[in-house]
Amino acid sequence: MATLTRLWLRWPRGLALGWLAVVVLVAALAPYLPLPYAPAVPDLACVAQPPLGPGAHWLGTNPQGQDVLSNLVFGARTAVVLTVPAAVLAALLGAVLGGAAGFWGNAGRVPAAGGLLAGGAAWWALGGPAAGWALAVAAVGAVGCVAAARGHVRGLPTWPVPLDAVVVSTAAAVDTVPRLVLVVALAAVAQVSLPGLLLVLVLTSWPHPARLVRAQMLQVRALPFVEAARAAGLPAGRVWLRHALPHAVQPLRTALPLSIAGLLALESTLSFLGIGLPPDTASWGRLLASAREAPSAWWVFLFPGACLALTVLSLSALASQNHAPTRKA
Amino acid sequence: MAARLLIWRVVRTALAVLVLASGLFLLSRADTDTALRLALPNAPDYGGRASASLAQEAAAQTALRQRLGLHLPLFYIGRGVGPASHAVRWQWHGTANQYHLWAGRLLHGDLGTSFRTGAAVAPRLRAALAITLPLTGTAAVLAVVLAFALAQRLAARPRWHAAVRAALAAVQAMPLFMVSLLLLLVFANPEVLAWFPAYGLAQLTATGAAAVGQYLARLVLPIAALTLTALPELTLQLEAALARELRTDYATTARAKGLAESAIIRHHALRNALLPTLTQLVELLPALVAGAVVVEVVFALPGTGRLLAEASAARDYPVLLGGVLLVGAVRSFALLLADLLYFWADPRIRWQP
Amino acid sequence: MKPCFSVILLFGTTLFLLFQGCTARRTDSASIRVRWAHDPETIDPLQLTNQMALDAASLLHLSLMQIDLSTGEFAAALVEGPPTTRLLGDSLMQLSYRLRPGAQWDGGLPVLASDVAFTLRLMFCPGLPNETPRLRFNFIRRLIPDPADPRHFKLECRGQSPEYVQASGDFFILSEAALDPQHSLRRFSLADLQARPVSATPDTALEAVGRRYRNMPPDQLPGCGPYRLAAWEKDRYLTFRRKPRWWADRLRAAPFVLRARPVQLDFLIIPDATTASLALQRGELDVFPQVPAREFARLRTLPAAKAALAFYSRASYDVVTVAFNTRRPALADALTRRALSRCFDAAGLLQATQLGEGQRSVGIISPTDRRYYNDSLAPVPFDPAGAAALLHQAGWQRAADQSRGWFRPGPHGEREALQLRVRYRANESMFATIALQFQAAAAGLGIAVALQPTESGVLSETLRQGDFDLCIRTLKGNPFMFNFMPLLHSHAVGAGNITGFGTPASDRLLEAMEAANLPVHKAVLLRRFQAMMQTEAPMIPLFFLPTRIAADRRLRGLHVSGLKPGYTAAGIERLPTASVP
Repeated sequence: MATLTRLWLRWPRGLALGWLAVVVLVAALAPYLPLPYAPAVPDLACVAQPPLGPGAHWLGTNPQGQDVLSNLVFGARTAVVLTVPAAVLAALLGAVLGGAAGFWGNAGRVPAAGGLLAGGAAWWALGGPAAGWALAVAAVGAVGCVAAARGHVRGLPTWPVPLDAVVVSTAAAVDTVPRLVLVVALAAVAQVSLPGLLLVLVLTSWPHPARLVRAQMLQVRALPFVEAARAAGLPAGRVWLRHALPHAVQPLRTALPLSIAGLLALESTLSFLGIGLPPDTASWGRLLASAREAPSAWWVFLFPGACLALTVLSLSALASQNHAPTRKA
Repeated sequence: MAARLLIWRVVRTALAVLVLASGLFLLSRADTDTALRLALPNAPDYGGRASASLAQEAAAQTALRQRLGLHLPLFYIGRGVGPASHAVRWQWHGTANQYHLWAGRLLHGDLGTSFRTGAAVAPRLRAALAITLPLTGTAAVLAVVLAFALAQRLAARPRWHAAVRAALAAVQAMPLFMVSLLLLLVFANPEVLAWFPAYGLAQLTATGAAAVGQYLARLVLPIAALTLTALPELTLQLEAALARELRTDYATTARAKGLAESAIIRHHALRNALLPTLTQLVELLPALVAGAVVVEVVFALPGTGRLLAEASAARDYPVLLGGVLLVGAVRSFALLLADLLYFWADPRIRWQP
Repeated sequence: MKPCFSVILLFGTTLFLLFQGCTARRTDSASIRVRWAHDPETIDPLQLTNQMALDAASLLHLSLMQIDLSTGEFAAALVEGPPTTRLLGDSLMQLSYRLRPGAQWDGGLPVLASDVAFTLRLMFCPGLPNETPRLRFNFIRRLIPDPADPRHFKLECRGQSPEYVQASGDFFILSEAALDPQHSLRRFSLADLQARPVSATPDTALEAVGRRYRNMPPDQLPGCGPYRLAAWEKDRYLTFRRKPRWWADRLRAAPFVLRARPVQLDFLIIPDATTASLALQRGELDVFPQVPAREFARLRTLPAAKAALAFYSRASYDVVTVAFNTRRPALADALTRRALSRCFDAAGLLQATQLGEGQRSVGIISPTDRRYYNDSLAPVPFDPAGAAALLHQAGWQRAADQSRGWFRPGPHGEREALQLRVRYRANESMFATIALQFQAAAAGLGIAVALQPTESGVLSETLRQGDFDLCIRTLKGNPFMFNFMPLLHSHAVGAGNITGFGTPASDRLLEAMEAANLPVHKAVLLRRFQAMMQTEAPMIPLFFLPTRIAADRRLRGLHVSGLKPGYTAAGIERLPTASVP
């Protein structure tokens, strides 16, 4: 009976690992696979064709004439290189910022000299009047910072840093600003490259994980073991990183796999606004979005949707903690 | 003491909203050239009638700029070439600037007039909200109720729990337009099942009870689409948190006492597992006001999502700013509400200003 | 298990709605319901920003001359006949009009030359949203009334271009008695208002008129057209009701443009094409203009739709073109541009995107215009080998290294590379297909092409600044205006001329075309123009788009044509079911 239980626990995880391995393998070998068509080239004679039709389009073509199979294969590459890292990085950034905001709240303090340094430098850089005096103020601030860091002088004034308020307001601002204003701001950059798009995706999606981690951290920091760690004399940073944060990222185990679908949709929205992936890069999101023009072409929905759903499920299965099922009373 | 902290938080939230709106105002005015050009239709886009020379177009743009009040300086201070020296330096513009006028009108409740039509922004937003709020409100309530019920059933690990979780993840993987189109093409299609009307609210010719029936029938499919997309994440997050709570010592004790699993979940584990779900619930509040563009386009409902998307594309900044101000205000107060709810859900959390 | 109350409720609701749905049939509505893709935003006759606003305004108001969709020509509406032209010197032209004797406003007051003069003055009144009419009607210098006949007047135009004849009758006439009862605008002459600087001190009379106009709600603006605006729910629908006693009903031989059959017209705003198609199939919609290609083809195959709907497809005057930025050194010579034009598979793209409807063309003049289309030229074929030969002829050489790109020595000794960036409006699948096909064909030749779909607001700015190499866009045309100066003249560089093209020979030809008024002369010049365009190739026409309309079978009088909007709303009538074959 125990063996069966263990097999039952291993089975979904095994499948999940297998699927993810297939995706990564296909993504790595994509340029070498003997696909009949390139992903971006439209086959003008066979547009929106069902699967197994004439012309060696095994999974059919989308309303633009692109082969579904090669788009799936190269889309796996984009997913592995762009979407999943974007989700992971957004979760990381959100975890760090949300965790810090939840742990320290508005009670953090920095030496006042830092404020003088920053203020003076900014005034000088912007070219305000009396820039020379600003430079002098910045120099005084730099000296004060060094002194505080070395610990030579005690009792220097400190300013409060409302970390929680700043992080929460920034998250709210990022969420509220419409995407198109973002496009206008980015329009100066002529072509957004892959690392640039990664940055845009991460910077647009970190607020959700940040809020989840912050909420959990508010609970975790009140738990006895955190208090004990502080009482033991550990520095605050270490308590935060080693003791509190691993417990505070619990909600992300569920949220991370689910965010991949959202990021794919975000990618295609950005390409509608003109700042997404170049049109010759295949992606599952773009394939799904092309189904809008021909809603009766079920093969353009089904195959990328199935790949995406399987990926999300696999990641969920790996991320969730599977334990022995409790008995129903 | 708590009341003072609360009031301080409310004041801070209101200030944050104003700062956000001001920032967006200044950012939007950097793009007036495009806004002006889109407000003046030009020949290749409209009719092919004779278009004007460069000088005439420039004159028309200047006249439009004057009429919309965009010729004034932007802010109290700005960079410009000084009259005496020729270096670029900061200048004081006084109170005759766009920001001052805008802020003054805003404090009186006037959100300005649209660039494209000249109509007031506030009534337009109100009309769009009257369409969106019933739709998103009902969908949110339904999604929350269903999520709670489903998560509690799933946490007890019945035999079908893996299948349902897989189905939920599959639904999450579908983009919103796919869900809406599927619902439309299955339930409003004369070829398949014509149970529901295809598009919403175009004309309500009946009166009385029949009108209410027609209104409700038209909202069923959009509400179903919104509920289906909001459901998976709420359910799965709550179910994972409940599963975690069910492995704690107090849950084992309760089981040892002889309580049924569903009773343990409902009376003991739920309150402790609520924290991530509360975050998601209050994140739903700004979405209530912002609407969902895709659902509104597919089902032809003139809500706030569509209004803001069209204003974005046409660079109609007063409408866009009005919408963003509304959504931003709701979001900020939702965050405040979230903090209050955390305090209520887990008394160990110390409420901070 | 306890039967849950909620399950029973759900079940009951489903049954009820199912019952409701089963009883929904094709509704026999008294009004004609037409689909619009978005709201007209404003139907102010001075501020018509899109085609829908123009359609709405033409139901409520009349202009001196209007397009007759059944013949495709301008026809007299408020005036008795086309104007008589008289040239004064070499820079002025007088057009003489006479208004119809029966033309009246709703209250019974006649439409007179003073109303026309008032409308012209209103177009230049400060403080009103009239920037567009200011641009269009700047050529009218003054209106000369006839003291003997209040309906007869002459318009004096600056310049003698023949297109001023048609443009002079193309604005909606507004009522002076309703908008300016004190005649305060008569103090100002048209020339004064046109020359008034933007920063002049505001005049109280002008401000009063402006305020009165701006504050008038759209359904109360008086017009002499056949309909009045009965309801306008923003973004939902507009309802127009026929006036019971309209002055043109009493005309003995009413021309086509003065006939209005439907008693009520409803314009329903349905943004999504799939939803609109479902509404059409269910009988909730009568006319669906501009059906997307794939949906049109699919509806034609469905048996139920084939039985209930009629499908119309005509060639329109919108042409998909690719414009080259001739200011770039790589594209400055015509041979390179001609070579690149052979990399577009226009016939295949026409088949793929328009499913075979639409037409290929040799220039930006529609093939349906038999008088002016140059049929002795052949459309550019899809010929990559020929493209390579032309590139060699232009001096490009293929590098022997890994990249195999094309290079040639520039005028100052540097090495020019052939690398292209294609811009087009994002979110348009037809442009994306064209761009991807070009990229594939160019890659076959070894030319590196980068695609840049751009959002429409940003696109217009980048085109004006010349920040592109190729641009795929749709040019909207009509059969009356053959003035291509804003598009291709060297003076228009920086405004409408995004290609930057302009040689002295081409400028002279464009100016001659604008001044020609005899059709024979015009035909000769236009043929020469099309030949020049094919040789110089600053922009390549790919194909002309079709207009597709699907409508209820029982409707007659749509007069589907290639001119915008593609159908005549005011001419539609619904036949009773029994008489439909």
